[in-house]
Amino acid sequence: MASISARRLAKELHEIQTEGCPVGINLLQADDFAAWQFTIEVMGESLYQGEVFTLLFRFDKHYPISSPAVQFVVTDGKTSPVHPHVYSNGHICASILGNEWSPVLSVIAVCLTLQSMLASCKKKERPPDNDRYVRHAPDNPKKTQFHYDGNSP
Amino acid sequence: MTTPPPSPPTAPRLRPAALPEIEDEPVKGPEQVTEDTDISTLTTAQVFDLNQSLLDEATGVTRPLIDEIAPISTLRAEYENGSPAFVRQIDWLTTKGYHYIRRTKGDGDCFYRSVAFAYVERMMHALNPAQAVEKGVATLKSTLPMLENVGFQRLAFEDFYDVLESLLLSIVTPQVTGKTLNAVGLLEAFQSPEVSNSIVVYLRLLTSAQIRIDPDAFAPFLFHPELGEPMEVREFCEHFVEAVNKEADHVQMTALSKVLQLNVNVAYLDGRNSNGLVDFVEFRSAPDANETPLALLYRPGHYDILVDSE
Repeated sequence: MASISARRLAKELHEIQTEGCPVGINLLQADDFAAWQFTIEVMGESLYQGEVFTLLFRFDKHYPISSPAVQFVVTDGKTSPVHPHVYSNGHICASILGNEWSPVLSVIAVCLTLQSMLASCKKKERPPDNDRYVRHAPDNPKKTQFHYDGNSP
Repeated sequence: MTTPPPSPPTAPRLRPAALPEIEDEPVKGPEQVTEDTDISTLTTAQVFDLNQSLLDEATGVTRPLIDEIAPISTLRAEYENGSPAFVRQIDWLTTKGYHYIRRTKGDGDCFYRSVAFAYVERMMHALNPAQAVEKGVATLKSTLPMLENVGFQRLAFEDFYDVLESLLLSIVTPQVTGKTLNAVGLLEAFQSPEVSNSIVVYLRLLTSAQIRIDPDAFAPFLFHPELGEPMEVREFCEHFVEAVNKEADHVQMTALSKVLQLNVNVAYLDGRNSNGLVDFVEFRSAPDANETPLALLYRPGHYDILVDSE
């Protein structure tokens, strides 16, 4: 029998392929159950009008009990959105990706939360500790223990 | 010409994942529990886990998710040189017939894991296991529409359900090995992270659903465990019920005993009672009020299973 992880990702992928992604989110690549990529943009009025970002999801064998590692892609000319919760290396400080992750969330649910995080942004700026963090950041954002302020998604 | 009546407003419905709203606040930067962390900023569960991991590190123990049954004297021995108040309370439990404990790992899931294990074990040891399993599975099946009603996506919970249901069914239906579930198989299942954690997740979702469908019963008791501030139902459930590794308190225990229709007794071993007695907090939700309750042992920040006889 396939692992819980593979079964769940297969179902999520099937749903994406049959029902499509929500507006502003597009599946770019899902060739295996290790890493998926999506493009994400904010529809309507926002500080990010006309900007399209790429999100990378990496799954370990304990997904969905363990959270996916999620970040913006910052290679090949792609950049991360300038946002108080997003570091210039693409890492995202969001409690739902860390200690408030719940297996009831899905890949699409994460995309929607991040889309709404961007949509509600009032000032484009980096986190105050961006430079220090980026200098020492691990490759996998899940290895960082972010301190959440109670308002982060 | 009659105008059609206006259609009723759509019932408020949680989005599939009931996603939290976001406000923009500057982040405070990464922070870890290190040797510089002020202990007073940690929750009791975090302190318990920290103590246990330091102790395990020092003694080279790798703790399974759930352990073999052990005499309660092994727990007593740990307090003999430290806390006479705890020793007195453990002795009191012994006089009440509780001679054994089954320990769980201190990872924030210990309450759910303890209940789950005791709940499955109870059915396995029932006088009529086939009947107990049939009843248990029927109760469990009725939770599927309940989870959908509170807005969870079926694909996000059905795999966890399947794990629990097939474990219950294996009590009476022989598995591929040709055998039905026995004590060894049960322990193995609960020590396997995939099976054990899937069941924990399902119990968390059940707990959350019970709170969400009956907000009036729970709303007055929903407080942030660290800040003590009142919380909205959805916010409380997302942060402190559905999220993995989040410790359970009275509200979660009430909700879970209700949804699984269980009687549960929680013995509070906290060293506080000067007469050496142990307070039991009782949850009564079984259709038969006299059904023997599952017994858990609470120490600040942690739950284990309390057993009266082997």
